[in-house]
Amino acid sequence: CFIQFSCNKDFLYKTDPTQIKTDDFYKTPAELEQAVNGSYSQLQGIINNQWTFNELPTDNTTIDFNPDDRGQADRIEAFEFYTVNQGSVNIEGLYNSYYSAIFNVNNTLQKMQQSEIPDSVKPAYEGQLKFLRGYYYFNLVQYFGDAVLITEPIPTDNPSLAWDYLRKPVDSVYMQVEKDLKDAAAELSPDPNIGKATKGAALTLLGKMYLTRKQYAEAVSTLKQVLSLGYSLVPSYASIFDPKTENGPESIFEVQYDSKSDKGEWSTFIYTFAPRKSGGAVTRWDQSNPGGWNIPTNDMINTYEAGDKRKAASIGLDYTSPDTHKVVPYIKKYDHPHAIYNRTDDNWPLLRYADVLLMLAEAINEQSGPTTDAYTYLNQVRQRAGLKAVSGLSKDAFREKVLHERRVELAFENWRWFDLKRTKTPEELASFLNAYAAKEKANPTASRQGVPYSSSDYIFQPYEALYPIPNSERLVNDKLTQNEGY
Amino acid sequence: RITGPDNQPVAGVTVMISGTQNGTTSGVDGRYSLNAHAGDSLIFHALGLQTQQVRVGASPEINIQLSSGSKGLNEVVVLGYGSQRRRDVTAAVSTIDVSKLRDVPATNVSRLLEGQAPGITVKQTTGAPGKEMQVRVRGLGSLGAGSTPLYVIDGFAVGNSIGQNLNPADIATITVLKDAVSTAIYGARGSNGVVLITTKQARSGETNLNVTANYGVQNVPDSRRTKVLNGRDFAEFKKEAFMDKIRYFENREPDLSEVPADFRNPEDTKYNTDWMDEILNRNASFQNYNITFSEGKGDVHSLISVGYIDQQGALLNTRYKNYSVRANVEGKVNNFINMGLNLYGAWSKQNTATTEGRSALVGSALLLDPREPVRNEDGSWNDYIGGHDGIFGFTNPVQALEEITRDRQIGDALTTGYLEFSFLRDFKFKTTGNARFIFDSYKQYIPSDIAGENAPPPRDATASDDAHRIMNLSADQLLTYAHDFGEHHLDAMVGFTAQEEMTRGVAGSATTFPDDKTPYLQIGAINSGVSADSGWSMLAYFTRVNYSYKDRYLFTGTFRREGSSRFGELTKWGNFPALSVGWRISDEPFMPKTSWLDDLKLRGSWGVTGNNNIGNYSSLAFMNLNNYVIGDQFVYGRTVSAFANPDLSWETSDQLDIGLDLTVLDNTLTFTGEYYNKITTDMLLPVPLPVVSGFTTMLDNIGKVRNRGFEFGLDYRKRINAVNVWGNFNIAFNQNKVLAMRSENDVIWNGTMYGDFNVSKVGRPIGMIYGFKNLGIFQNQKEIDESPTQDGAIPGVYKYYDANGDGVISYDQTDMVEIGNPWPKFTWGLNLGGSYQNIDLSVLLTGAQDYDVFRQIESSTLNMDGVFNVLEVAKQRWRSEDQPGIYPTTNTWKWERESNSRYVYDASHAWVKNISIGYTLQKSKLKFGSVRLYLSGDNLFLITKYPGNNPDVDNNGGINPGLDDEAYPVPRTFSIGANVTF
Repeated sequence: CFIQFSCNKDFLYKTDPTQIKTDDFYKTPAELEQAVNGSYSQLQGIINNQWTFNELPTDNTTIDFNPDDRGQADRIEAFEFYTVNQGSVNIEGLYNSYYSAIFNVNNTLQKMQQSEIPDSVKPAYEGQLKFLRGYYYFNLVQYFGDAVLITEPIPTDNPSLAWDYLRKPVDSVYMQVEKDLKDAAAELSPDPNIGKATKGAALTLLGKMYLTRKQYAEAVSTLKQVLSLGYSLVPSYASIFDPKTENGPESIFEVQYDSKSDKGEWSTFIYTFAPRKSGGAVTRWDQSNPGGWNIPTNDMINTYEAGDKRKAASIGLDYTSPDTHKVVPYIKKYDHPHAIYNRTDDNWPLLRYADVLLMLAEAINEQSGPTTDAYTYLNQVRQRAGLKAVSGLSKDAFREKVLHERRVELAFENWRWFDLKRTKTPEELASFLNAYAAKEKANPTASRQGVPYSSSDYIFQPYEALYPIPNSERLVNDKLTQNEGY
Repeated sequence: RITGPDNQPVAGVTVMISGTQNGTTSGVDGRYSLNAHAGDSLIFHALGLQTQQVRVGASPEINIQLSSGSKGLNEVVVLGYGSQRRRDVTAAVSTIDVSKLRDVPATNVSRLLEGQAPGITVKQTTGAPGKEMQVRVRGLGSLGAGSTPLYVIDGFAVGNSIGQNLNPADIATITVLKDAVSTAIYGARGSNGVVLITTKQARSGETNLNVTANYGVQNVPDSRRTKVLNGRDFAEFKKEAFMDKIRYFENREPDLSEVPADFRNPEDTKYNTDWMDEILNRNASFQNYNITFSEGKGDVHSLISVGYIDQQGALLNTRYKNYSVRANVEGKVNNFINMGLNLYGAWSKQNTATTEGRSALVGSALLLDPREPVRNEDGSWNDYIGGHDGIFGFTNPVQALEEITRDRQIGDALTTGYLEFSFLRDFKFKTTGNARFIFDSYKQYIPSDIAGENAPPPRDATASDDAHRIMNLSADQLLTYAHDFGEHHLDAMVGFTAQEEMTRGVAGSATTFPDDKTPYLQIGAINSGVSADSGWSMLAYFTRVNYSYKDRYLFTGTFRREGSSRFGELTKWGNFPALSVGWRISDEPFMPKTSWLDDLKLRGSWGVTGNNNIGNYSSLAFMNLNNYVIGDQFVYGRTVSAFANPDLSWETSDQLDIGLDLTVLDNTLTFTGEYYNKITTDMLLPVPLPVVSGFTTMLDNIGKVRNRGFEFGLDYRKRINAVNVWGNFNIAFNQNKVLAMRSENDVIWNGTMYGDFNVSKVGRPIGMIYGFKNLGIFQNQKEIDESPTQDGAIPGVYKYYDANGDGVISYDQTDMVEIGNPWPKFTWGLNLGGSYQNIDLSVLLTGAQDYDVFRQIESSTLNMDGVFNVLEVAKQRWRSEDQPGIYPTTNTWKWERESNSRYVYDASHAWVKNISIGYTLQKSKLKFGSVRLYLSGDNLFLITKYPGNNPDVDNNGGINPGLDDEAYPVPRTFSIGANVTF
């Protein structure tokens, strides 16, 4: 090429030899499998930060306050202190991560249809992708209310179409969630292929959606289908979270993490959650510099009934801060020995059988009061925790009991925010959280070391039941509406 | 007989009878013969020497001595793929005479451009040794692609960076092409200007051995250092802050016992560490040695040079060394064939450090707790500074500089070679081959006893090792034709060029080492590797035609058609035409023949150029690895990397230039004035996409930016008896404006509301500094209540302007406004010099006027919540209405850290960049040759109100301009040198 006056046509057509071009992908079942795995991988990214949005604002957890570094004052800490605003970078990250994940689901679904992959293998992939999409929209609608609904990729030759997608009413979003999860339940096999979505996972999530929508009859009938799929409570509550016994009989869907390979699939939850100054005292690795985020509140610690085996399995109370000489509690569910620093094997329990039982108990109670069935489901969970069966409760008392049971059973599994929102109006939620906040403010779980609260801290207003649409997105598309109050 | 400046015969001089095709060439003895009539004019032309014209008289023999130095209008200007006499140039071209800058302690060739020509802005944004400076030609042309010019070394277009290995001592001239007619020949790489660097060749007829030695010391002047609180004052500050909080929040007088023990008794403060002082390397040495041997006699000329640069940085342990060798050979094979070969090899070695930005060493040195010692009493490192009692934890920067290995080594081999055939008298064919091979390696090891931000040691030691090689090959084929038809002159060129660059490398990293003694990847318990492979290619056909009539009417047209691998599949090829005209008014018969007017030329040019500086595969989308675990086993997963754009193409610049060249007073004074209007369209920009598309941006060709302005250059040289004086002043006014974007209301945001926040809006200059407008400090609750709601505001915090008038200061961008303009109204350079007998003097000044810098570091150094050390001036903080001060309260941190106008400073400055004084001992006094001794001071006096070390700082650059978040300080250098010629 350098001495002739003409070159091979290919001379100017270069591609990155270290990567596959998008156009050359989605051609074979193996590539389809990789695309679906990629979507699960994006779920990991979402789960890694989910505690910020689902536990921190609730009465379950707070922060091990860091007076030496105020860098997170308007970021993560804003979720604890109810000072989230539309400029929050964490909200932006949350929003972007969901739509990025939804794009890959939509794109793979479309590319799969266009490919020459045998039709026989498609439903299994389709079901998994729709399960994920259902989960994403279910969360989005709970975080933001009306949500932009998009179920196909924007064509690369017409990106301007992306501006036409605006927020759809909550009901429309839920219709899509229902459709996706129903499709997924129909297309997926009940056989557990560990790590992948199954029929049971789709039905559980669908049941949860019905419960959230207060469609109790549908919730009961859907969740009952899960009972026959062979799941059971394991005797030891702690073992549910132990990587040695992960994906056990109680597990319906876990987000998978593993440290065996060098390619970054490990989790690091305990490094985020361990007390800030605990070094290796919790993580077992001296070079640790833990985050001190998402620590159990006094309120949470005190909510366990005496004799509840779940308390010790869920909360660590064995670490004393060298600065304050006080115990700093931490979440124990994700704290297990691991062979390599900063690489844990802990999975994230997204859906499990105990949740199904508690949802059934709740739905039945709402539908027809505390029936025998309802007590059976609730007490199964209680008895496994070493607690006595309950009986003879009024409908309201039963509701309270189930909700309390959900709080301790599913502690730090990122359900608390949604459970509170689903069972309370925004005004009720505000008075509930303000009451909790007043207690926490008066007697912080972890010492603030003399740093006073800011005047705007811990004031929850009803509008804050919905997160704001990130300002970054509204700057791009000024037709997007904002939630009231922001 | 033709002789050169040294009275030696010159071979190969073209002798033509003006207006005819008759001519000949001189032989080895410098003799020539041809048939001419009395009254004919003979034109003598040889490369590197002045062209002369002699009228034939009665004598049969015309002997002529050609002079060198080729000053003034007959000087040959190097252009893209050719050269032209200065008087015939109709383009906006600045030539830099590097010989005037011989005393400047330059370690990078980009330093030689500083202050030398109008429209070329050179900023030393960091004082890191060897570092290439930021060079811009005629403003910032691009919003999304790079804005650095194309560098061409001896005809080889090496890319958008000179790199750091090219030895400044080897450079003969630098020519900067600014307008379209000169740059369009470089097609899709021309729109940011082109810098043509020509290395030294042997002078015809001379044999020289030249040795230069330069030794200097570098120091950061006290006047350019930021003053922070000392240990005791900081303890006092913390104590008071603590007590003020109780006073404000609990409304009572605190008891001393409530103050944490750490700050209770400031008078007992044990240490007082000036961290900036500790990391500076006082009297850092600078050394530069060069030996050049050149042989210009005979048919083959050769020049061999060896150079060595050794610069210890102004910061500890940041030494830079560069070793280089060069061989330039050029000559005549026979009367038809010429050839040339330039070989250059260099190897540099450098200890680098992370110095740029708040979190790096220089920024953190301002923020560190001054009450902590560098070393403990037992001599061991105090390895974690702060991290307790409400003080941010930092790395010990002295320890980091001493203990962290960051070793960069670059080997650079640069070769160009050509063969030129002359045939049919008027035709020449030149084939050129260029190759550059760079071997770049970087090794880093951070031992386990180095702390992180708020992360005390021991930590996991980390090692990384990166080695890559870049192979850049190009070949040019040029056919040229030149002929005079009577008073018509025509020369034409057609060419073809192909270029390809390939980068390959491996990078590895490792963590978890048993100890810090064997910092190699395989020792780490965990290690991983990456191999890299990338490249680009380019093909182009081009032509240029120059036509002139009577030397008075000048025309140039160029055209290039270029294809690039970087552009989308649907837009592989582009066309880049340009035209220019020139009119030598002074030659017109109607112009009165005045004695003072030597030359007056009016010229205009227009053309289209491109910018392909967007990375190699930007038009493509790939599958990113995004893996998962299924069945307890690792599985591969993939997701889409980007929103592809198969239509992606280069940025197009359309540039009009009108210039005037004036030479008067017997060639002593030259003036050049220039107006230009450059409109860049199809900007390569990451266009924000609604994230429902899956992505927040896609790369697209949108938008329109205009840079227009005036440039003036004035050059004076005169000999008055025994005194030689010369001066050169240049000044450039550039206005930059975004004309269009995706839509009318579209804006490009860069940065975050906590600083480095720039916005580019239609109708405004690129990258305006954006933030809250600061209206002072809230003095009391009443004032807060009466002002727009500023959530969380308490007395003593900054009061901001409610830009949208909705009664609320939103904690986001909605109430932000433009608070600064990072673009100077004008930039200027002034070179003055003179010599008297054996003494010579030269002075270089540069300056920029009316522009702003956002001193972002102050959002940390004036972060009053007490987690960092603060500026000395923070003592004047708000305490109460009675003690209002001028800085905010320590009672909160909200409304103090956001990007706001408080941190914007006018950075207008004038800088005495260099003064040198030389003394020459002539050859007549010394048997072996001549010696020149000199003293030089560099970066001498800075006249500015700007409080930072360097008003040229630009931490981010591009469309995120005007940010000062601290960088490697720029030192002042004093050096002595000797230049010996044998």
